[in-house]
Amino acid sequence: MDLFLSALSVALAPDAVLAVFIGTFLGLVFGSVPGLTFTVALALILPVTFSLEPTPAIGLLLGTYIGGMTGGSVSAILLGIPGTPSAAATVIDGYQLARNGKASLALGTAVIVSAFGGLFSLVVMIVSVDFVASLALRFDPAEIFALVLFGLSTICGLAESSLLRGLIAGVIGLMLMTIGLDEMEGIQRLTFGTITLQQGVSLLVAMIALFAVPHVIEAFVDYYRGEKTTVNAAEVKVELPTRQDLRGNFWLMVRCAFMGTGIGAIPGTGGPIAAFLAYAHAKRSSKDREQFGRGALGGVVAPETANNAVTGGAMIPLLSLGIPGDPATAIVLSGLLIHGLVPGPMLFIEHPGEIYVVYIAIILAYIAVLAIQLFGIRFFVQILRVPAHLLGVGVVVMCGFGAFAIRNSVFDVYSMGILGVLAYGLMRAKIPLTPIVLGLVLGPTLEREFRTALILSEGNLDIFYTSLPALGFIGLALLIFTVQTARALKLFRNSKKPGIERNVPVR
Amino acid sequence: MRLVQKMMRATHRDLLVGSLLLAFGVVWSVTVYVTIPTDFSESVGPRAFPLALGIALVLLSGLLLISSIRNARETGEETQVEDPDAVQNERIVLKMVGAVFVTIMAYGFLMEKVGFVIATLTIVSTSMWLILGIRKPASIATMAVGITFGCWLVFGKILGAYLPPGTWLSLF
Repeated sequence: MDLFLSALSVALAPDAVLAVFIGTFLGLVFGSVPGLTFTVALALILPVTFSLEPTPAIGLLLGTYIGGMTGGSVSAILLGIPGTPSAAATVIDGYQLARNGKASLALGTAVIVSAFGGLFSLVVMIVSVDFVASLALRFDPAEIFALVLFGLSTICGLAESSLLRGLIAGVIGLMLMTIGLDEMEGIQRLTFGTITLQQGVSLLVAMIALFAVPHVIEAFVDYYRGEKTTVNAAEVKVELPTRQDLRGNFWLMVRCAFMGTGIGAIPGTGGPIAAFLAYAHAKRSSKDREQFGRGALGGVVAPETANNAVTGGAMIPLLSLGIPGDPATAIVLSGLLIHGLVPGPMLFIEHPGEIYVVYIAIILAYIAVLAIQLFGIRFFVQILRVPAHLLGVGVVVMCGFGAFAIRNSVFDVYSMGILGVLAYGLMRAKIPLTPIVLGLVLGPTLEREFRTALILSEGNLDIFYTSLPALGFIGLALLIFTVQTARALKLFRNSKKPGIERNVPVR
Repeated sequence: MRLVQKMMRATHRDLLVGSLLLAFGVVWSVTVYVTIPTDFSESVGPRAFPLALGIALVLLSGLLLISSIRNARETGEETQVEDPDAVQNERIVLKMVGAVFVTIMAYGFLMEKVGFVIATLTIVSTSMWLILGIRKPASIATMAVGITFGCWLVFGKILGAYLPPGTWLSLF
C-alpha cells in the first residue's frame, strides 16, 4: 500500500500530469491527421524524453500512445480516412454516420467507448497480468498463424456483398506485403535489384495511399461536378451517446473490450486485428445486420472499444516479458529502456513502484483523452467547415509530408502517389479497399508464423491440427468462409444476373 | 476514343478489370517463379507465399472475368446506349487522377530539390490555380502561406520533425 501511495504521489506530480496531457494531446493530433499516425509522433517524441525525468518521460510516451490510438477515429469518422491502421474498421460505419449528419454522435461515442475499452483493459491487465501473460506466452507459431488466419476470414464478412471482389482485394493486400527482403532468409523478393524496394511497401505509406489519395481525387472530382460534399458544421452539435445507446451496446462493449485485451496480449497482432474482429463480431451478433456499413452505431462501438482495449493488453507482454506487440509499443519499450526500466519478469521485482506509475499514467491518459476530446470536440468538428476541395489541397501536403516523415525518404512519397492512384482505380472498379488493408496488416505475421511453424515441425502439417487453439481458430475461419460462400452462392442462384457478386458501393 | 468509351461502360469495365487483374496475376506469378530462389529452405521457402498468392489472384480474377462475360451477354445491347454525362464524368475523373498523381510526384521531387517550404508553397499555389481553377490571388496566398507556415511551425519547430532542406536551394 505504501508503495502504491508513493507511486501515486510521484505520478500525480504537476510535471508528470502535464507530460501525460501534452502527450495525449499530441497523440490525438497525430492520430487524427491522416498519414501522420501516433507511431510517427512517438518516434518524434522519443528524443525529447531524453532530457526529462523518468516519470514525465513515461507519461509523455504513454499519453502519446493512448491519445494516438483514440485520435485515429477522428479522421476516420469526419473524413473517412483512418488516422491510424487501428481506426480502419471505424471508417465503415463512422464515416457513414458523419454523412448522415451524426458526426458528433459518432465522435462522442468513440470517445466514451475508447475510454471504456482502455480502462477496462487496464483493470483486466492489473487483475490477470500473470494469467494472460502466461497464456499468450504459450501461443506457438502455429497457433498465432491460426489466429491471424481467423482474422483474415473477416474479409468474408467485410466483403459480404461482393465476396469475390473482397477476396481479390485481400489477396492484393497480402501480395503487396511480400515485396522486399524476406525477413526469414534474407532473400530479395520482387525488388528488381533496387535498394529502396528492399525495405518493402511501408504499411503506413500504403495506408495513406489507400485512404487519403482516393479521398483527395474524389473531393476534386465532386468539386468539378459541382457536388457539395462538405457537411454543414453548424448543424453538427456536440452529442454524447444516450444512456439507451450505451445500455443497448453495453455487453457488446464488454465483449469487444475482452477481445481487444486478449488480442493485444498476443505480440504481433494489435489494434487493427482487434478492431476488424470486433467489427465482424458486432455485425454477426447484431439483430440489425443490414444497418452495418450504412451508419450503425455498433459499427463504431465495437472497433473503438476493441482497439483501445489493445493498449492494456499490449502492456502485458511488454511489461512482463519485454516483448513489444507492434512498432508503437516497440518505441514505448525503447523509452522505458532509456530511463533504466528494463521490461521483463525482473521489472516486477526490481521496480514495483514504477509499475504502479505506469498504471496511473495510463489512467491519467484516458482521463486526458476524455477531457480533451469532450471539451475540444468542436475543435475537431471544425474540420467539417473547410470545403472538401480545399481540405483536399491540405491533405495532399499532409500525405506528402506524412509519407516522407516515415523514413525521411522521397521514395515513400513517390510510392504513395503510385499506390494511391492504383487504389483509386481499384475503388472505381468496385474492389473494396478495406480487405486490402487487412491483407497488408496481417500478411507479414501470417507468412512468418506459418513458415516458422513448419520449420519447427520439420515440414509436417500436423502442427496446425494437433493444437486445440490452432484447430479452433482454423475451424472458425473455415466456418466463416463456408457460411459466406454458401450465402454468396445462394445469392448467385436467386439472382437473375449470373455472377457471385452484386454491384454495391464499396469502401 | 470510342472504343475507350465503350470499354468504360459498367459491364465492359468489369471485363477490363478482370483481364487486367488476370494479366497482373500471371506476370506476378511468372516473375516470382523466375526471380525468387527456393532452394534455401527445406520446408516453405521465400517463394511459396508470393507464388501461391499470384495463383490465387489468377483464379479469382478468372472467376471475375467469367462472371463479367456472362453479365455482358445477359445485359446485351440494350444497355449500350451512349450517355454524354457519363463520358463527361469519366473525362473529369481521368483529369483529376492525372492531376493528383502529378501533384504528389512533383511534391516529392520539389521537397528533395528545393526543400519543404518552397515545395509546399509551390504545390498549394499551383494546385489551387491549375487544378481547382481558383483565380483569387489573396485566397491562394492565404492558403499557401497558412498551410506552409502551420506545418513548418508545428512539425518543424514545435515537434522537431525533420523537414527536408533541399539539395538545390535551401531556405531553412
